[in-house]
Amino acid sequence: MSESLDALERRIAELRAEVRRAVKAKENSLARSLRGDLRRAEKAWDEAITAEEPPPKLREPEASLLPIREQVHQALALLGVPTSAKLIVAVNDAFFSRELRGSQLTSLRRDEERSFRSDPYARPYYLCAALTDRLSPARGLLADSSWAPELRVLGPLSPRVDFLTSTMRIAEHLTRLAEPPMGALRLLSRMAQNIPGAVEGFAPADPATAIRAAGAELEVHRAADTAQRTEVAARVARQLPDVERLFGAATMSTLRGAC
Amino acid sequence: MNRLEELRGPMPSHPHDARAIAALAANPGCARRALMDAAGVDKDRVARHLGFPAPFGQSQFAITRGNVFEALVKENGCAELLRLLRELLGLPIAQVGYQDVESVGSHLRHSHTRALIDRAAREDDGTAVFYDHPLFSLEIAGHTSYLEPDVVAFQIGGRFRIVEIKSFGLIDGQAEPEKVAAAARQAAVYVLALRTLMADLGHDPERVSHDVVLVCPENFANRPAAALVDVRKQLAVLKRQLARMTRVDRLLEGLPRDLTFDLVPDPDGVPTRPADELAGALRQVPARYAPDCLSTCDMCMFCRDEARCDGSTDLLGRQIRDQLGGVSRMTEALGLAEGTLEPAEGQEEIARLLRLADRLREEALN
Ligand code: SF4
Repeated sequence: MSESLDALERRIAELRAEVRRAVKAKENSLARSLRGDLRRAEKAWDEAITAEEPPPKLREPEASLLPIREQVHQALALLGVPTSAKLIVAVNDAFFSRELRGSQLTSLRRDEERSFRSDPYARPYYLCAALTDRLSPARGLLADSSWAPELRVLGPLSPRVDFLTSTMRIAEHLTRLAEPPMGALRLLSRMAQNIPGAVEGFAPADPATAIRAAGAELEVHRAADTAQRTEVAARVARQLPDVERLFGAATMSTLRGAC
Repeated sequence: MNRLEELRGPMPSHPHDARAIAALAANPGCARRALMDAAGVDKDRVARHLGFPAPFGQSQFAITRGNVFEALVKENGCAELLRLLRELLGLPIAQVGYQDVESVGSHLRHSHTRALIDRAAREDDGTAVFYDHPLFSLEIAGHTSYLEPDVVAFQIGGRFRIVEIKSFGLIDGQAEPEKVAAAARQAAVYVLALRTLMADLGHDPERVSHDVVLVCPENFANRPAAALVDVRKQLAVLKRQLARMTRVDRLLEGLPRDLTFDLVPDPDGVPTRPADELAGALRQVPARYAPDCLSTCDMCMFCRDEARCDGSTDLLGRQIRDQLGGVSRMTEALGLAEGTLEPAEGQEEIARLLRLADRLREEALN
């Protein structure tokens, strides 16, 4: 394999030199055909090298290949609850080694809303808002339009419930991986520090312990949170048209009516 | 009130922000500031026009650092803060409610804060614990000022508390006393505003605790730590100052009839009054300069310069000034110490101490 690669490289170098010579001599048609040969040689080299190398790890290339929208969607799918841009970026970085900046997410919700307004339901999912109990969009939280309505609304307990849930989802995902990435373990440890019994001091968190502790606290809040969310979701369904069900009511009159 | 408007001139009354209100408690004895604040004079503009702008305005670096730390404490529904309060106050596991007041849009923040606090005080259901980005208001000498705390008010056991998040460091459990004092003064403003709101809604204002929670980064790491700070004293001073501002008649007495701090702005609002003349007007109202002014009052550079020119002992700080009881000039203090000045009646004791101090100093230097 590497022999043919070497040969190809030599051929490419020769062709480049010939192209230069042809251009200098103003032999335009020759230059054009030489360039064609060069392109083919380079393509052959590309194919040979990828055939030889093992498929690249999900490292760098992924960053540029997957659109931001997809990256956010994957992170949300992992977490399963309305999430801040900051945590989305952290999860995306920790599990998928992709670099996303918080600022890249700022216009996302607005773009999605515009797309939904111009052509409703054209996409399988929309990155939308979580709605507060006043039916307004919650500041800074992103959600997935395909989730159940109860998941996309917030009562006063929901930020905590969602924090505990996302900690559990991160821990669960870690237990599924043969080689848990260090960044993801650090993220879990940081989150677990704010849950009673989830971690010893500053030691790295053990996913199983974290799941148990988060689950225990979750039990305390679950019933009340579910009741509050169901109530808000019912109001959303009753009072809001489709667009606002996904992106929230922003007008003063709707807000007044809701309070 | 007319007299105050004359003092201010044709500019609209300047609203007070939390820092300005907190500053009232920092140097309560200063008539100059009390009068300027009561009249709603824009002290910053005045100081600039005099050629003595205050050295305020944090560096961009400090502001960014502060914002990042605050965001960290508040992220994920105040998860870090919950941990701290569970440790510090034994906040029960069930109390984790969080409401971001800002989600309703800025034009509704004030009324929404009111509604949320009212509901929490009435129902006492204990679920809604944190109120992030609340907007309070406070009447200052007849004008409403809006306060945007970087704090979270929360309810535990039927009592509300103010949380003040500051990015100055806590090293081995200690922070710089001046910074803590400034934070306490500022938190006291919020306590007062929330108490006023409670009273307004017909609830017991005492349900707002005088112990505020101060959250700072610990030991150079970004990990937050929390401590309780009793702000009763700051509250008392603040209340007295605010009452004093509404009874400024006494301060106005004895001032020349035609005294004004008017900047005589042209149609575009650019001050046209000669700076000397304005400085002369200000000097007619006694100030009480102290080094704290440098971190609290817009007029500080002007007053410091004045105190310096006078050789005033105020420059040395309140503690030393008070120890020098009755000796208000540095030249006077030096004269007494070196024996070149005869102590006046009642100054014998301080003169004896100064001479003693001078002798000790000489001995130490030889
Ligand atoms: S700076 Fe001047 S006006 Fe302001 S409080 Fe100090 S002494 Fe009073």
